[in-house]
Amino acid sequence: MSTVERRKGDRRLVGRREWPSYAVADALGGLEVVICCGSGGVGKTTISASIAMSLAAAHDKRVLVLTVDPARRLATALGLKGLGAEPVTVSRTRLRRAGLPARGEVVAAMLDMKSAWDRMIERYSPDSRTAQRILSNRFYQRISDAFIGSQEYAAMEALYELHEAGEYDCLVIDTPPSRNALDFLEAPSRLSDYVGSTLLSFLAGSSRLGFRAMNFAATPFLRLADRLLGAEVLAEVADFVRQLQQLYGGVQRRARDVYRLLRSPAVGFVVVTTLEPSPFSEAEFFVEKLRDFSMPLRALVVNRVLPDSLRDPSAIAAATTLTEDAGIAAWLSKALGVGVTRETARAAGERYLLFSSLAQRDARQLANVERLGDVPVARIPLFTDDVSELEGLVRIAGLL
Amino acid sequence: MLAVDVDGKGDLSAALGSRYLGFKPHLAQQRVSVIAMDAQQSFQEYLHIYFKVPAITRLTPLKRVFDFIATAVPGPRDMLVVGKIAYEERRREPDGRPVWDLIVVDSAASGHVVSHLSAARSMLTLVRGGVIRSQVEWIDALIRDPERTTAVLCALPEEMPVVEAIELCGRLRSEAGMSIGACFLNRVVTEPVTPAVRRLVDTLVAAEHDETLQKRLGGSPQSIADATRLAQQLYAAGVAEARRLQAKIPAPLVRVPLTAARPGLATARAAADAIAGQAT
Repeated sequence: MSTVERRKGDRRLVGRREWPSYAVADALGGLEVVICCGSGGVGKTTISASIAMSLAAAHDKRVLVLTVDPARRLATALGLKGLGAEPVTVSRTRLRRAGLPARGEVVAAMLDMKSAWDRMIERYSPDSRTAQRILSNRFYQRISDAFIGSQEYAAMEALYELHEAGEYDCLVIDTPPSRNALDFLEAPSRLSDYVGSTLLSFLAGSSRLGFRAMNFAATPFLRLADRLLGAEVLAEVADFVRQLQQLYGGVQRRARDVYRLLRSPAVGFVVVTTLEPSPFSEAEFFVEKLRDFSMPLRALVVNRVLPDSLRDPSAIAAATTLTEDAGIAAWLSKALGVGVTRETARAAGERYLLFSSLAQRDARQLANVERLGDVPVARIPLFTDDVSELEGLVRIAGLL
Repeated sequence: MLAVDVDGKGDLSAALGSRYLGFKPHLAQQRVSVIAMDAQQSFQEYLHIYFKVPAITRLTPLKRVFDFIATAVPGPRDMLVVGKIAYEERRREPDGRPVWDLIVVDSAASGHVVSHLSAARSMLTLVRGGVIRSQVEWIDALIRDPERTTAVLCALPEEMPVVEAIELCGRLRSEAGMSIGACFLNRVVTEPVTPAVRRLVDTLVAAEHDETLQKRLGGSPQSIADATRLAQQLYAAGVAEARRLQAKIPAPLVRVPLTAARPGLATARAAADAIAGQAT
């Protein structure tokens, strides 16, 4: 039987299920938070949405899939026109129509960085006056909505908040690409370091005492900062960080709580990769980091795997003959009773050999997947049509 | 030419046939140098050039403060990346010629690149004076000058990456004020499966049990049909996505063919040839 199935009206390429791993959904079934990580462009958002669907289908759960990636892929993946901070429920009717017998519910939302930061400030400020002073500071306003890195801080806070609220049985988090996902893991401690840092002490001190009264160690830094930013701006920054320092106790406590949650049995990480060399080494890097952080890897998803039929030795031999044998076209013309040119025979053979080389590279890399961790592995075949439609996601969910 | 790897992972060096992963320009190929971005080193270099701050590794308490600013504080980190690139653009040889004819930047992931490129603009709204104000002004002017800087978009021939490229195009233009120079559609099956090839493969598959045929071919042609179908589907996807990009992105579209070569110098050369063949 052909390993590439073609169904009526279906342009999808479906690989033989010789490595079925519905175990992934089972491995994640008892969790309250699933965090999907991986390199950019490996299909992480699609897999996150599919995991949410498989959990809603198999475990009768209310699942929120939250994207932290500033790229707006989740809406596209779910076939939604738009997606914002306000959670959007993917209706059961739509899911059923797409082939998902959902007992549970799938809800999607995108991280609203600005309001996550604002809530963080309000929560940790000792009083509303301090909170207001920080919220209206223009340095805070730029940090909270414009710069890279501030996203990760806000995301971790939002994740913790959502988990605490308990509105959903499970949260599936679609993180930014893995180097940024590492920032994501480090965000709570960095924020805590940030708010309690020497830098802030210097600046806060400068505001309280004036530059001339600063101690000796701080002086070179402040002199430099003064030349760099100008006295007026430096004073403004100093005022901002002085307010920020009052948040230190709360931020530090929250960092500890977030890490406790991330290391708890309620949380699991899923690393998504393709078999291309670069994303695969990113996945290795990330798995190692999870180990360093003592955070639990629960499953691996290998996406866009080419079908095994493309590595068929018998077909490789036939394709090589078609490509290289100068007399094959004439022989085929005679034997099959159809006109075959040299170019036609070569083109047919070359196509197979191209995909065969790619499939063989995939196979060699697949052998390395087990090294990543003793966890269930899902192998998702290459889909040649768009899996951004719900039907495609449901199809992938079935392979998890 | 200078190639800048913003993520500092070494992929760009590898594509240029080098294993170099450092902050100082390194000649990877004839007339092509490469650097890997490092915000901490960028900050040290900046302080050294503009403020004559000595190697701060020796000044332990300050070094911690500077490292922290470069790596953990949102804002400065973005500016240090963009600032280093802008600095390289300004560098001149003793005779006044630019050190680099062209700087090619392998940027951060698409979700983050707009923040990098609009960092200077954001900073301008915050800083009214000091040395940094004039520096940020020229960096912002450099980014927004279509004669000197342009963005090149890259996408795979699949719906989601293409939608993202279109969205990124809009944001780069509106938020960072940049021009879009070209759009690359990577890993495209560029040749359609001709009716003659399809006919041949169908005929071979229909006759696959013919022992003489199998003997002459040296194997079974059955799976060749799978590859033919896959090629056809990928070609169709490439055509559809190229059309979508052309309709939404006001820049030339360049197709880079799918190859079986491992990422590295050979693949980079093959892509360069394909690009050169389509350049107008």
